Amino acid sequence: MAAPLWRRGLTAAPWTRGSFSWLLSCSRAIQTTAVCHKNRAARVRVGKGDKPVTYEQAHPPHYIAHRKGWLSLHTSNLDGEGGAAERTVEDVFIRKFIYGTFHGCLANEIVLKRRANVLVVCAVFLQRLPPYKFYFLVGYTETLLSFLYKCPVRLEVQTVPEKVIYKYL
Amino acid sequence: MAAWGGVSRLWRRGCQGLGTFPVNYSSRDMPKQYRFLLNKDLLWVQFSGFHTDLHHHKDNSLISISDEPDTLYRKLSVLVKGHDKTVLDSYEYFAVLAAKELGISIEKIHEPPRKIERFTLLKSIHIFKKHRVQYEMRTHYRCLELKHLTGSTADVYLEYIQRNLPEGVAMEIKKTKLEKLPEHIQKPIWDKLPSVEETATGALETGH
Repeated sequence: MAAPLWRRGLTAAPWTRGSFSWLLSCSRAIQTTAVCHKNRAARVRVGKGDKPVTYEQAHPPHYIAHRKGWLSLHTSNLDGEGGAAERTVEDVFIRKFIYGTFHGCLANEIVLKRRANVLVVCAVFLQRLPPYKFYFLVGYTETLLSFLYKCPVRLEVQTVPEKVIYKYL
Repeated sequence: MAAWGGVSRLWRRGCQGLGTFPVNYSSRDMPKQYRFLLNKDLLWVQFSGFHTDLHHHKDNSLISISDEPDTLYRKLSVLVKGHDKTVLDSYEYFAVLAAKELGISIEKIHEPPRKIERFTLLKSIHIFKKHRVQYEMRTHYRCLELKHLTGSTADVYLEYIQRNLPEGVAMEIKKTKLEKLPEHIQKPIWDKLPSVEETATGALETGH
């Protein structure tokens, strides 16, 4: 449905007779609903002050080159380079895969780095599993992803006792 | 950081063939250009009295000797592009340092203007044509021009530079200009063939 509009002046209708109907048809419309007025992308809305939020989540996307870095580093978005869609699809798959493999253990978003042929996945985990399980899952992820993408995949892991909270919103 | 790993690797590679020892210099004695290496790496010093195994040098397969003359490059232009200007700054520092260590003369380092690619999309999935979102992708450039290189120096330098490219953000394009010496134009033609002109003029006269 179209957004409701208030129209001042005469509405322009194709059946109005007379050649001066186009003069009367200038109407000013105001959008009265608040739809699409605010940006909601990648923003955590302010609440009562009990919601813990990491540094990555606390900053909206217009801070990307200023206070935040990039989560996925590859050359396909540069001027004159190709393959952006393939890299993006790979990134999405890898993020979902690691989110599922290490369920509940991710402290922060994964950083993906592509250097020549190598895919380096940098992740910060919570210490919710015993170390031998972590080692097994890391090896499993590396072999599976390298067979899937036909390139060496390295997982660089850092563990943290709890999520690092930047502020409460 | 890639620069540190690269510099220490460069030092180690350079020291493999010679007999060298690590020495810890106090900060006063160390010359200024090496002071930044103090915390991260030891300073390697060559001792002339050190005896190395001679057979080890002869079997070294990395060094190859051939009789063909090496190709010469008048100019080697390295263009690096990336999204982040600070990463390009640090990479330029690293590349200039490597070039100075290898003794390559640098012609100029300049920064071509950045390019921004912008596009506008609809904010909502269904209607609301008046509400749009704008995205942009910024590409920063840095151009390093080196002059008077031999082929082997260029190969070594470029391989070293490319192995230490930062992840994804900087990309390299190489433009080389070759200096060739073609033999057929070394001397002017009019010195060699005087007889051809005389017969041509003679033919013209007889024709009319």
